[in-house]
Amino acid sequence: MYRYDEFDAAFVAGRTAQFADQVKRRLSGELSEDQFRPLRLMNGLYLQLHAYMLRVAVPYGTLSSRQMRKLAHIARVYDRGYGHFTTRQNIQYNWPKLKDIPVILDELASVEMHAIQTSGNCIRNVTTDQFAGAAADEIIDPRPVAEILRQWSSLHPEFSYLPRKFKIAITGAPQDRAAIRFHDIGLQAAVNGAGEIGWEVWVGGGLGRTPMIAKLINSFVPNEHLLAYLESIMRVYNRYGRRDNKYKARIKILVHEEGLETIKGQVEAEFAEVRGGVLTLPSEEVDRISAYFAPPDFAQQSLTKLDVAYESIIDPAYGRWLDNNINAHSQPGYASVTVSLKPVGGAPGDATDTQMEVVADLAETYSHDELRVTHEQNLVLPHVALADLRTVYDALVAAQLADGNTNTIADMICCPGLDFCALANARSIPIAQEISRKFAEPARQQEIGELKIKISGCINACGHHHVGHIGILGVEKKGGELYQITLGGDATEHASVGKIIGPGFEAENVPDAIEKLVDFYIAQRQGTDETFIQAYRRLGEAPFKEALYGTA
Amino acid sequence: MGLPKLAPAQAAHDKLKALGILALNGMFDEMDALSVLRYAVSDVLPGDLAIVSSFGADSAVLLHMVAQVDPSMPVYFLETGKHFAETLDYVETLKKQLGLINVHAIHPSSDDVKRFDPNGDLWETDPDSCCHIRKTEPLEPVTEQYGGWVTGRKRYQTSERGVLPHFELTSDDRIKVNPLAYFSDADVVEYRQKHSLPEHPLYAKGYKSIGCAPCTSIVAEGEDPRAGRWRGLNKKECGIHYDFSGAIANPMTAAARHTLWKDGAFIADPFKEWVEGTAPSEARYTHVPLREFLANRADYLASQHPLGLMISPGEKIEDVVEDLSRFASIAIKFPAFSDGRGYSTARLLVERFKYAGEIRAVGDVLQDQIPHMRRCGFNALVVTHEPSRQALIENRLPEMALFYQPVGVTEVPLGTRPFLRRVS
Ligand code: HEM
Ligand code: SF4
Ligand code: SF4
Repeated sequence: MYRYDEFDAAFVAGRTAQFADQVKRRLSGELSEDQFRPLRLMNGLYLQLHAYMLRVAVPYGTLSSRQMRKLAHIARVYDRGYGHFTTRQNIQYNWPKLKDIPVILDELASVEMHAIQTSGNCIRNVTTDQFAGAAADEIIDPRPVAEILRQWSSLHPEFSYLPRKFKIAITGAPQDRAAIRFHDIGLQAAVNGAGEIGWEVWVGGGLGRTPMIAKLINSFVPNEHLLAYLESIMRVYNRYGRRDNKYKARIKILVHEEGLETIKGQVEAEFAEVRGGVLTLPSEEVDRISAYFAPPDFAQQSLTKLDVAYESIIDPAYGRWLDNNINAHSQPGYASVTVSLKPVGGAPGDATDTQMEVVADLAETYSHDELRVTHEQNLVLPHVALADLRTVYDALVAAQLADGNTNTIADMICCPGLDFCALANARSIPIAQEISRKFAEPARQQEIGELKIKISGCINACGHHHVGHIGILGVEKKGGELYQITLGGDATEHASVGKIIGPGFEAENVPDAIEKLVDFYIAQRQGTDETFIQAYRRLGEAPFKEALYGTA
Repeated sequence: MGLPKLAPAQAAHDKLKALGILALNGMFDEMDALSVLRYAVSDVLPGDLAIVSSFGADSAVLLHMVAQVDPSMPVYFLETGKHFAETLDYVETLKKQLGLINVHAIHPSSDDVKRFDPNGDLWETDPDSCCHIRKTEPLEPVTEQYGGWVTGRKRYQTSERGVLPHFELTSDDRIKVNPLAYFSDADVVEYRQKHSLPEHPLYAKGYKSIGCAPCTSIVAEGEDPRAGRWRGLNKKECGIHYDFSGAIANPMTAAARHTLWKDGAFIADPFKEWVEGTAPSEARYTHVPLREFLANRADYLASQHPLGLMISPGEKIEDVVEDLSRFASIAIKFPAFSDGRGYSTARLLVERFKYAGEIRAVGDVLQDQIPHMRRCGFNALVVTHEPSRQALIENRLPEMALFYQPVGVTEVPLGTRPFLRRVS
């Protein structure tokens, strides 16, 4: 994986010193909160309900065991013994003290990590497929390009005060596990007629109060021109994106209001000017960066197939885990393991310091020292030999990290909600906890199959509720909390935005409502192969609505 | 009756004193200048009041009142060494005609002049310091002797003076008396005519506000009378009208009040703010807003005066690419530091349109954004935010020395060192 050279290390150290100075000036009162806000945001520091919240970048979701141990250490020393992994493939700490921030940043810098641009109206940490460089279906490993994007966008002088935040996601596989169509820019690897690999560029996707599916602005941008093309989009957005209303400031609104063709025209005109200039990516540079991401030294494995059916008879829990938490690897004899952060009754995405250390140890011993954070708030050991799976599983069991529930109804995405977030209208973690208790029975989860529930505590949609097969959105109604249910969202290459199907529910009635929908689906599906979302697409919204609310 | 003579600075009395001043201001009719002065002399500060007069275009009115109330009141004249000969004549004329018997000229220290203004051009390079050594410094020991001052200030004169009262308390516990606070230009003329007061010899030639010769120019019809002072040099108030208490910087730091940062220093800004309604042919040393320029493009192009251009967010630099060479300076406005459109404009100017003149950032220009601005091509900054000014002066901007991405024309020549990186 990528290793900082002297330049990167000096860059982060410089930035840390700079922010330490800004913190000092804030503490001394020289900076007002207004003046400090954009600076702290650009360094990942939010002011939340109870305290500051520090968001640490995990570039394209990739971590080494050493880095994970440092995250555990920070959780233990400077926070309350846990961290929260987010849909942005980052980790957030909810209780750091402002005066400790410079020290924390120093600690992070010692393992090549930082919090630069994890918030603020700049280009945010680039996200990608959690199985990048491992997945069997991959055209190309997107991480070298993600790393180049990280460098290009870090403290970009022209694009640090954009109309609004800007998120880029990239995937090298046809199966979209990075929700690229719901980012400001989504990049998907593509092959042109000549067999060259380049990028489909999608623009203007997003969630929030106006969910939009990104539109294809260019179906093939060669690697060497990718930065010039992205800079062209950024410049058009910086100049013409709306700044009069922060709710209309994302690029999705610009694309929506001006129309794709107009924006495309402006971008292409700009591209014509900058193409071939200083941003042209020399292939040696791509090669140089790619070398960091060379596949690890995989060993020849004698065990290349798993007998899941057999294992399920011997140990049903292990069988389920193999069934749900294992992803096919491009290397024979290997698999990628999803470590679930969705225990029954837990807060999705939370991990304790000791859990982080267990996972770090496992990564070091069994996964070529690599770890990933998923946008669905789990962790991944990307390169585990099939022969080691049982050992890994047993270690996870001991750390209470072995729930075999990935992609099931228990594998919910959930934002912090009213328990932590200053913007929230409603609690979201307790809703997730109640649902997970209702569907705690593994056999029941297995029966339901793949079902994505996503929960947000307000319209900002940090919990991706728009793209949940079942989405839950907390709203405020007459001083109380109410939950709207949406159906039919999908974050993948079959992107769709869920629809509200009727009036909201009180918190205590949400699990029952979900159960009605689930029961209806099971009754109606054409065999166990038809997933919830497929059944919904076939049947349409009306019968689900009737199942939920009764006939009119 | 009334207020006792006030003791010098005693914090406990300040509030009472301030209240007293408030009461005083309520005692007089707006136009009752003479009563204000008489009361000040007889009751508020008997024997402890003096006046500094510039013997300028409209000094005669106040001096006439002083002569009526108390011809022996000390009158000080700042003989800066830079006055028009006509002004020096006028001092003599008024003295004689009004019967003032206690007029003193105050001279700058010759050491200071030798040291700070050996060539006599300090007024040009640094007028604040010039005023300081020629006015503020010499005046200070004099002002210390008195409990109060009579001034000729009028509230209409410049926008900053809109709320001038008859009596003011300065921060060092002195009282300023402004008998003419409510006088308008017309009132002055009327008074002068009524009492047949002699006119300043230069008044008829178009000088409406007269100070030192080098810093005074003719005021156009309808223009602010004081616009003729320090023309082109963003300076409105002469030091002596500030508090006497040291609010005026001393010569070595006076330069800090310039707001234009260029080439490593705050310097006098030859440009002044564009005034709505200025005729294109009259505009000079001002940043003409882009829409105004476009509306009267031919007129501006025909004018010979040095011009600047002001670009606000939302305006397109592409609209004036043909005319960029016409401008000595282009100002890019940041109404709020969080509005980043100006960065794109600057890069386009430098990198795409090869504009080589001054590009200045104006508006909400703060230290934390300045490094970005520089990288995007800004070479001048107008900075008023005090901590940011200090950071510039002390050369401690929160700056990163390392850059990943190439911007600007000079940063990364094509094909050099690992792509996209630079050490500054
Ligand atoms: C706890 C404090 C948080 C605050 C104050 C916050 C604030 C916001 C706001 C204001 C937006 C809407 C932005 C817009 O549409 O312009 C947003 C969107 C988003 N947030 Fe958060 N957020 C928080 C936590 C999180 C967490 C924990 C996650 C990850 C689990 C997250 C992931 C996202 C994502 C993915 C979006 C994107 C949606 C989009 O594309 O519009 N946020 N957040
Ligand atoms: S969706 Fe709303 S409540 Fe949830 S984290 Fe985002 S801003 Fe907070
Ligand atoms: S008015 Fe001009 S010449 Fe006179 S002291 Fe001030 S700067 Fe110097």
